[in-house]
Amino acid sequence: MIAAAWICLFAPLGAAIAITLLGQRLTRRGAGYLATTSVGMSFVAALVSFAALLGDSPHNREHPSTLWHWLTAGPYQFNLRILVDPLSVFMMLVVAGVGFLIVWYSLGYMDGDDEERRYFAYMALFVFSMLLLVQGGNLLMLLAGWGLVGLSSYLLIGFWHERPSAVAAAKKAFVMNAVGDATMALALFLLIQRTGSLNFEVVFSQAGSLGGWAANLVALGLLGGAVAKSAQLPLQTWLPDAMEGPTPVSALIHAATMVTAGVYLMVRTSPLFEAAPHVQELAAGLGAATLLLAGLIALVQTDIKRVIAYSTMSQIGYMFLGAGLGAYANAMFHLMTHAFFKALLFMAAGIVIHAIAGEQDLRKMGGLRKFLPRTYWAFLVGALALVGVPPFAGFFSKDSILAAALAHGWYGQLLWVAGMVGAFLTGLYTFRMLFMAFWGEPSAFVREHFHALKRDVVGASLAVPVGVLTALALFGGWFQLANIWTAVSNWLDPVAPPLVTASSLQEAASSAIAVVLGLAGIGAAWWIYGARRAEAPRPLPLLERKFYFDELYDALFYRPAVFLANALLKWVEQPLVFGSVRELGEAIRGLGSETRALQTGLVRTYALAIAASLVVVTLVFVVVR
Amino acid sequence: MNGPDVVWYLCVAAFLFCTGALGVLIRRSPLIVLLSLEIMLNGANLALIAFARHSGREDGQIFALAVMAVAASEVVVGLGLIVAMARRRLELDVDKLRTLRG
Repeated sequence: MIAAAWICLFAPLGAAIAITLLGQRLTRRGAGYLATTSVGMSFVAALVSFAALLGDSPHNREHPSTLWHWLTAGPYQFNLRILVDPLSVFMMLVVAGVGFLIVWYSLGYMDGDDEERRYFAYMALFVFSMLLLVQGGNLLMLLAGWGLVGLSSYLLIGFWHERPSAVAAAKKAFVMNAVGDATMALALFLLIQRTGSLNFEVVFSQAGSLGGWAANLVALGLLGGAVAKSAQLPLQTWLPDAMEGPTPVSALIHAATMVTAGVYLMVRTSPLFEAAPHVQELAAGLGAATLLLAGLIALVQTDIKRVIAYSTMSQIGYMFLGAGLGAYANAMFHLMTHAFFKALLFMAAGIVIHAIAGEQDLRKMGGLRKFLPRTYWAFLVGALALVGVPPFAGFFSKDSILAAALAHGWYGQLLWVAGMVGAFLTGLYTFRMLFMAFWGEPSAFVREHFHALKRDVVGASLAVPVGVLTALALFGGWFQLANIWTAVSNWLDPVAPPLVTASSLQEAASSAIAVVLGLAGIGAAWWIYGARRAEAPRPLPLLERKFYFDELYDALFYRPAVFLANALLKWVEQPLVFGSVRELGEAIRGLGSETRALQTGLVRTYALAIAASLVVVTLVFVVVR
Repeated sequence: MNGPDVVWYLCVAAFLFCTGALGVLIRRSPLIVLLSLEIMLNGANLALIAFARHSGREDGQIFALAVMAVAASEVVVGLGLIVAMARRRLELDVDKLRTLRG
């Protein structure tokens, strides 16, 4: 089992290195096959680990393994150590499984790109980093994976480096993530100082004795990392721009796996968050605020990928809400189903974009149902799962989070209301997108640019993963039906015991209301965008400008920094640095023109100088002696 | 083998050296300057040999031979330069060669 976990971790890294080193000796298609195989191998290894863990008794499923001693700093030692337990195996299955399907899909999507090899090397590197993040056996390994996924995300968002907008988006994502990485590193420093270790067991066993402010600071630092990585308020602005990357990248990194790392972190370090209950409640509040805000912004977006990106932010808001209130297993379950249906939505959108010459603007689409019937069905399944209509996946996972909120006292109930409004918004924006893209009469743009997918290896590698994910979005929620059949909770509860449990009545009521609201959202979308019975309302500028967050950060951070730099240039660099250099140069030049007069070019003066110096030297010798 | 005292030799050597140095400093014809240089070198050679004899060792004589060899090569180069100057019909005056002025 341990060997399988190590294979799972290192197979994608091996593929990334091999593709890099082999370079031109590997065909483009070959690089794709290598990456796909390695991630598939990871998935099989994760399955083996899972099967082995199933054989253990439920409370004896933690298996740390140390490969070697990594570094020593004073009395502290850190090992290259992984932890195989139900939570990490759960994440390994999601990451490697969904990752396998998406890398496979990339074979078709990236076919013919000039730099396919680089793409697949980055993808494999990303899968390795993400697995390192979830398998790491101490917080330092987790942080290393955390940084590496940020790096691969940067590399992949900016993959089309000839587009200035992609490069700018990559930089933005990296900088915002760096803020989170920094707060997280500070939290780890404080933990080292307080507990002398970063190993999960040691840190968690001492979480209760950290003391009030230290516990709060540690939890705040970790929360900072989580909100940056998961694009929650107030560090959410990078995710929509990250859609500049290739669509499979959006599906894998910015929907299914990396952005949910914040939720994983909150569940993994739940003892630290429980030691600081106010920070944990803050996390839940941020999640609720983000899900409302992202849902509202998604209503007015016109880029199909950005709508899905905002819905990702919104859904992660639900997960934060669940994890913040202590419904860990529910949050993780939603993480899994979200990975299925959101990857499905992105990949179906990718087929649409592929079929109409790279166009992403919803206003130019329309009537695609006739051209892409199977993609339409896949997209419909994904959309229904996202809205949470039974029996699709989202119904089982999202509603159990909301039920847990209902069981958490007045604060939870407040957030429950936000979640319910979010459910309505989800139905509205999801089906607005679906109706705009697939319903109605085909637009002139679509008629002109549509070209069908080829029925060959390329077409198959697009179609098969989408088919598999459609099935997963349909049936993936059936692992758990709250309070009746609780496979996921049973699996995860020993790692992170839940703080709240909803009663069956709360579950039923919450589900019923959420489904009704979701259907109401669908109905409203149908009324306006499907049947066109009402004029579409004009988008509010507040929503179109995304609540002015970009402008706010521009005014708060960017402009003062530019102002400071310009002031330093004007008042410090030009007078002090440039000025001193110029004066030094002029002084030396003046000295030179003075000395130049000594060189007369007259041989006899030189001879006289030599003779005179000789006389002086002789005299000195005579006198000194 | 007892000749005059070493002081006399040194006086002659110093006289030769100063004559040569004076020639180098005041004459303007390169030919005479070269000649004066030879006189300076021979003054130095005389001093070397006188000291060698005074101390009873041969190092000074060997040194003097080396100086002669160097002087011969120097004359070759110097005369070559002067011939080249004459061929280009340049005026034979060291003060006129001032292109190296700073």
